[in-house]
Amino acid sequence: MSSKDTPLLLLVESDILVRHPLAQYLRECGFMVIEAANADEARQLLLESGRKIDVVLADAGHDQGSGFSLAAWIRSHFPNIDVSLAGTMTRAVERAGELCEDGPAGRRPYDHQLLLNQIKRLLAARERPRPGRNGPTRSGLRAVR
Amino acid sequence: MVPSTVQDPQAAYVLIVEDEALVRWVIADAFREAGFSVVEASNGDEALAYLEAGGFVDLVFSDIVMPGTISGEELAERIARDFPDVKVFLTSGNLKPKPRSGVEGFFPKPYDIDRVIAQIAASLGVKPR
Repeated sequence: MSSKDTPLLLLVESDILVRHPLAQYLRECGFMVIEAANADEARQLLLESGRKIDVVLADAGHDQGSGFSLAAWIRSHFPNIDVSLAGTMTRAVERAGELCEDGPAGRRPYDHQLLLNQIKRLLAARERPRPGRNGPTRSGLRAVR
Repeated sequence: MVPSTVQDPQAAYVLIVEDEALVRWVIADAFREAGFSVVEASNGDEALAYLEAGGFVDLVFSDIVMPGTISGEELAERIARDFPDVKVFLTSGNLKPKPRSGVEGFFPKPYDIDRVIAQIAASLGVKPR
């Protein structure tokens, strides 16, 4: 198993021809990556993997928009996990901006370098206090304001 | 002559086909830790899509019973027909497949992942890390 200090990403993407090369690219960038083919798999992995997932990357439009419902579910169940959505439509991107910490990662097809830069920004910002995010942390402590 | 078992496992590509996300992750992680290059598919349709798109793999390790339009056994048949150089190992908690061409081995669930990796490494002629 890789170092526990290595950031762990959950990549949710239904198309294996998109998911695999993107996951490989992120691994080569030094991240640990768990792959989920749909929102149901993502929920199962978040609930049962027993691992501290730092960022979830999902396609906003996959499974008829379930990327949005997944993002909302994560916000309510795991408020300390950052979510980044990528969308194919302008509306999807706008809505993703409402749900994501730094706005959407961008439009598909993914720009790997842009996505990598956003992940780095999200991880760098994790130590900063977040408005409206004072729920319990994974350690059971509340975030210090 | 250099023995084939000293080949770098990273040069060996294994396609894991498993519909249980947690199981798939654990297996894929174990193979990566052993040094293999790993591709993950959530069912037979995804695996076939990857292969038909030109994705390179040396070996497929697939569950038999999965959602989607093709089972692991049907996937093995398609691979034997269309990708004869790709080796196939199957696994299942319920079914033991009938011996058929293209299937090199079968692991009943639950299995010892280290034993699976050792056997697959031997089949590919590589030495796990």
